[in-house]
Amino acid sequence: MLQNSKWLNGLLQLIVVMSLAGCNAAIDIDKALEGYLKGPAKIYRHSLGGAPSSLDPLNSATLYANYIVINIYDTLFRYKYLARPYEIVPNLAVAMPEVSEDGLTYIIKIKKGVFYADSPAFPNGIGREVIAEDLIYSIKRHFDVVNRSQGSWLWDGKIVGLNEWKEAGSNYSDVIAGLKTLDSHTIKITLIAPYPQLIHTFAQGFSAFVPHEAVKHYGRELSVHPVGSGPFKMLRYESSNYALMIRNIKYREEPIDLEFEGYDPILHKKYGIDKIAGKSPPLVDALKIDFIKESASKWASFNKGNEINFTGVPVEQVEKILSQKQPKPILTPEMAEKYHMFNTTETGFVHTDFNMRDPLIGYNDDPVRDKRNKLLRCAIRSAFDWKERNDVFYSGIAVTFPGIIPPVVPEYDPELSNSSTLRNLDEAKRLMLEGGWTTDNVPSLVYGGVASVATRQMYEQFRGWMKDIGYPEEKVIFDSYASFGDFNKAVKQAKIMIFGMGWGLDYPDAQNTLQLFYGPFGAPGSNSSNYNNPEYNRLYEQTSTMQPSTERTQLYREMNNMVIDDCVTISGLSRENIFLWHKNVVSFTDAQIVGGFHLKFVDMLDEETK
Amino acid sequence: MSTVLDTSTAEVVEDKIGESMWSKAAYKFRRDRAGMIGLSVVAFYMLVALGVGVGLWGTEWSDNNGQKWEGVSSQYWFGTNILGQDIFERAIFSTKTAFEVGLVVAVISTLIGAFLGALSGFFSNTWIDEIILWLMGVLDSIPFYLFVAAIAFALSGFAYSMHVAMIATFWTTTSRLVRGEVIKLKNFEFVEAARAVGVPQHIIIVRHILPNTFHILLVQSTIVFVGAIKSEVILSFLGLGVKNGVSWGLMIAESTLEVQAGEFSNFYAASVLLFILVMAFNMFSDALQDALDPKKVST
Repeated sequence: MLQNSKWLNGLLQLIVVMSLAGCNAAIDIDKALEGYLKGPAKIYRHSLGGAPSSLDPLNSATLYANYIVINIYDTLFRYKYLARPYEIVPNLAVAMPEVSEDGLTYIIKIKKGVFYADSPAFPNGIGREVIAEDLIYSIKRHFDVVNRSQGSWLWDGKIVGLNEWKEAGSNYSDVIAGLKTLDSHTIKITLIAPYPQLIHTFAQGFSAFVPHEAVKHYGRELSVHPVGSGPFKMLRYESSNYALMIRNIKYREEPIDLEFEGYDPILHKKYGIDKIAGKSPPLVDALKIDFIKESASKWASFNKGNEINFTGVPVEQVEKILSQKQPKPILTPEMAEKYHMFNTTETGFVHTDFNMRDPLIGYNDDPVRDKRNKLLRCAIRSAFDWKERNDVFYSGIAVTFPGIIPPVVPEYDPELSNSSTLRNLDEAKRLMLEGGWTTDNVPSLVYGGVASVATRQMYEQFRGWMKDIGYPEEKVIFDSYASFGDFNKAVKQAKIMIFGMGWGLDYPDAQNTLQLFYGPFGAPGSNSSNYNNPEYNRLYEQTSTMQPSTERTQLYREMNNMVIDDCVTISGLSRENIFLWHKNVVSFTDAQIVGGFHLKFVDMLDEETK
Repeated sequence: MSTVLDTSTAEVVEDKIGESMWSKAAYKFRRDRAGMIGLSVVAFYMLVALGVGVGLWGTEWSDNNGQKWEGVSSQYWFGTNILGQDIFERAIFSTKTAFEVGLVVAVISTLIGAFLGALSGFFSNTWIDEIILWLMGVLDSIPFYLFVAAIAFALSGFAYSMHVAMIATFWTTTSRLVRGEVIKLKNFEFVEAARAVGVPQHIIIVRHILPNTFHILLVQSTIVFVGAIKSEVILSFLGLGVKNGVSWGLMIAESTLEVQAGEFSNFYAASVLLFILVMAFNMFSDALQDALDPKKVST
């Protein structure tokens, strides 16, 4: 390991930066880095399927940005490395917050002696101590009228005085009643109404502690020059290619307590996780994350040798690398010889929505037509074949479930009938008949999507199913959009009749998916289907201030049943992700909720200890 | 070293002195073996496309009746794709798509090119000529696929946006060729004679000049035809092409992931059929060009 010496580290950084600056693109950066990080330097090479658009916590809206932001910056809370279901735990916070009985006041203490990584943004280039005021400053930035935050929705209308502060012109010297410091290391947050998901918002990149010095020094360039107190420090960032980070030597010493992290020998020992017990993260000297969008390139890079150490498995390779898909994926012997594998169900789901604002398929002022439309939607859902979709597009290993509460959240109901996810052509035809729908009078179905091969194939598959219930081929139309942005814009303008959507959970609470069907969040909000059921809305509002409880879970499930009964969406399917990493890497990866938090626990084995 | 001149063609053509340029060209074309093979293949494809158009075959191109990636069998001659669709049916249906695109683009862009080229040539060195030349210069200065993609994006949602994009770019070459020919023709005696007897300018252009550019238009339209087919494949591959239906470009785009999974049927079917048609069209076009070349015909 490198010496924990500020001087040596500074020198090494200087040498590396100078050498890299002098390198042209043709020179292998990995080798240059290895050359200068002398000794048993550990470099872990991760890969992501896309590049972040910004590393400023204000805009860490994508999975890719969040992955990096939470490794450069600190957040109050994080998720346990190994525990499933997910458990939120203190990160920069000393402990979980003290919450008042009415659920409106949160008092959070942060750790003392935590310093920002050295940066030219600070006087003399030396990072100062992290203080409670930094969090308040960081949240204020989201509500600054000159900033275009993508994360302000997390606290919009939730904290006393925050929205008013924005409306008054975002003067940073003004105090916000609901956001105060009790001392240099204690924060007091006062809410307008109970907000049980608040602590989860403080485990996201959006809530990262940003030093005001860095904002002042870099301005808009903060999006490519992140400065935080996280486990890693950015050394070189090429926005469309890779992020090269080195260990932040000022990162606090916190030896790993495997039991606390949720270690289970049956699940984790095979990955060598026991070897990191007692060590203090981060465990590697350098972390390189390559952004490789093209799955074939990523696969080739992974198989090439040590170019990247980790990859998600492309769908087209699944059949080749597995000797068994069900009931549990198993690698072929030759793959198992070389790689570790972990498969996990995504923390989200895909679904196909009907646009309820479209009178041809959704709500209609004519009560008779309104009822017929519902029968048509239900018929289409009954004709939808989730099994085939799973087999064709998700290698047959994804999980289908009824409604909009996916299996990954604790509120999921395993006892709920799955009849809404099973294809039943007889039932579909019966519903068409009951609704008086015939080949001649059915409305044209316009299926919208991005002009990609996969979306088009999904449309063609959908059209085939519709033909099975008597829909004329020419009445199932594909409405293609040049980019996801165009498609999303059309969805937000409620212009598309039927469309496939995906959702990744921000936190493990079904509220995060139930809000997708809450009436007031209709287009241009997150409720893309524009479902607007007063009873559903009432229950959503009621549960939004409730702490997790059996009662709340029951209400969640009632809401789920409403969505199923009204045939608003054809849902759902949670994809199964398969990850592979090289045998010399000690890791237990997680793509979404734990996400980038797992990277500080990744270790590399020497050849002898492999 | 001495050169032996092959005079056989010249002799035969010489024997036909007194016949029209078209009959000489037809005679010469018939003697071009490669051209005749090309024409036969194109004619065969056209028959296939017509059959699809009238519903004789290729009607099951959208059915998802098979299993994912079934092999070649008596039921599925080229196997099935990821959705269990019959690749043969889709490949056959794509022939119609190709001819539809080729025909529409070739006819309209040739008409526009002929009209504007004739105007430009007849009124050369006037403001009409300047405007048309400027327009062609502007269109030609934009990289072709970038321009086509931009128009396809701008008109997204319109089923014929790809056709419009191709027509907007393909007419310029035709127009330039026609312009040059018209500049030459307008000084010929038959045009001067028409002027002398007071024939209006538009009649001179339409009745006396344009018919004499038909040999150029014919050759150019075949070149545009095959160019449109190739462009359709590329645009469809990029997701900017065919909206409804299927095409070889879409099939090749579909095959990109299939090839990685070791499934090649979609790729082979679309590529081979496209290759044969483009090759045949090129042979046909070359032969036609040779046959209609005034220098060679009048030899």
